[in-house]
Amino acid sequence: MTNRLYVAGRILLEAALVAVVGAAFAFAANQVSPRGLALARNYFPTGTNDAVRMPPIAVASVGVPGTNVASVGVPGTNVASVGIPGTNVAPPAAVQLPASPIKAKEVPLIDGPRAIQLFHDSHLIPGAIIFIDARDEGHYREGHVPGAYEFDPYHPETYFPVVMPACRAAEQIVIYCNGGDCDDSKTAALLLEQVGIPDQKLFIYGGGITEWTSTHQPVETGAQNSGSLKIAIQ
Amino acid sequence: MTNDQPIRSAAVVNLFTVLARWLLGATILYLGLNKALHPVEFLKLMRQYDLTQDALLLNSMAAALPWFEIFCGLLLLAGVAVRGTALTLTLMLASFTLLVLHRALLLEAAQNIPFCAVKFDCGCGAGEEFICRKLLENLLLLVLSGWLLAGRGRQFSLRFSLIKPPAL
Repeated sequence: MTNRLYVAGRILLEAALVAVVGAAFAFAANQVSPRGLALARNYFPTGTNDAVRMPPIAVASVGVPGTNVASVGVPGTNVASVGIPGTNVAPPAAVQLPASPIKAKEVPLIDGPRAIQLFHDSHLIPGAIIFIDARDEGHYREGHVPGAYEFDPYHPETYFPVVMPACRAAEQIVIYCNGGDCDDSKTAALLLEQVGIPDQKLFIYGGGITEWTSTHQPVETGAQNSGSLKIAIQ
Repeated sequence: MTNDQPIRSAAVVNLFTVLARWLLGATILYLGLNKALHPVEFLKLMRQYDLTQDALLLNSMAAALPWFEIFCGLLLLAGVAVRGTALTLTLMLASFTLLVLHRALLLEAAQNIPFCAVKFDCGCGAGEEFICRKLLENLLLLVLSGWLLAGRGRQFSLRFSLIKPPAL
């Protein structure tokens, strides 16, 4: 009995040692790793735990006749929807808001047809309407809205030098991510707002790249303006 | 012949135990590496469990867990502090399994689908998986950890126990 207790104590002590040394190793490795997380940084300025918890929350593309703009809140506020000034759009009658509470400023949400229209309009006056892809580099290179700027909101410092001048010059900025339960576009919008981009310029394309490709819109692979276009066939 | 049989059986058990240690170590190492290579993705997945509202705590967990798993995987592969590592892994695996089960039940209720049809990325390092398969995998890993915890797998160990028993 005493022997068993002694063995159990040894195992516990060994486990504690493993835990302590392992934790020290883990934090040191994270510190050294080029992909390591910055511990003090708030990666989710829209609210640490306001992630979409339940799968697919239907947003935006609700097809209210005569309406192509809805509104989505940056998590944290209870927001009703509004139209985009100057776009001749009435507030939608029924928009399903995210399940999570909404706190901060709302960012107008646009649907697929409106995003396509803005994409075509963006060719009329280059730079006046820009698209921002808020996904990571790998997904961006696999395919993005042609001409869209890459802006991974979890590594903003990498992209600010290119994205900021474009945002300052633009009149309308359409931000998207995967669509569905992805809220990286909201995080990106909030970051841009925080660094001084007027929120009136910002719009979120709720359907994201998933809806974009499913409606057979062109996507550009590789770097921005690589010229390598393709249309998804489903 | 009769005398050889127990020796052979013991050798077979030992061989399987060492293979089990290596399998568990390699699996934990692989899962840890997958997370460590994509820390932001892991952070986003961890966030969905609503473990904490505190950004520093959430970041710390997401930053440390993958590397901690890598550390444990390496220890098992090398055969260092095997029982202590097995105990640590058992506790971690049991906690993670409960968390994943809880989330799966929430998803089952939200989607109104059979439990085994629930499929999601639990942040375990293997991408999207059906919940029943995930639970079976975790159960297998728990059994392996338990086996090692019982003191098996001493062969090809660099230092099976860190704390040596006192000499009598």
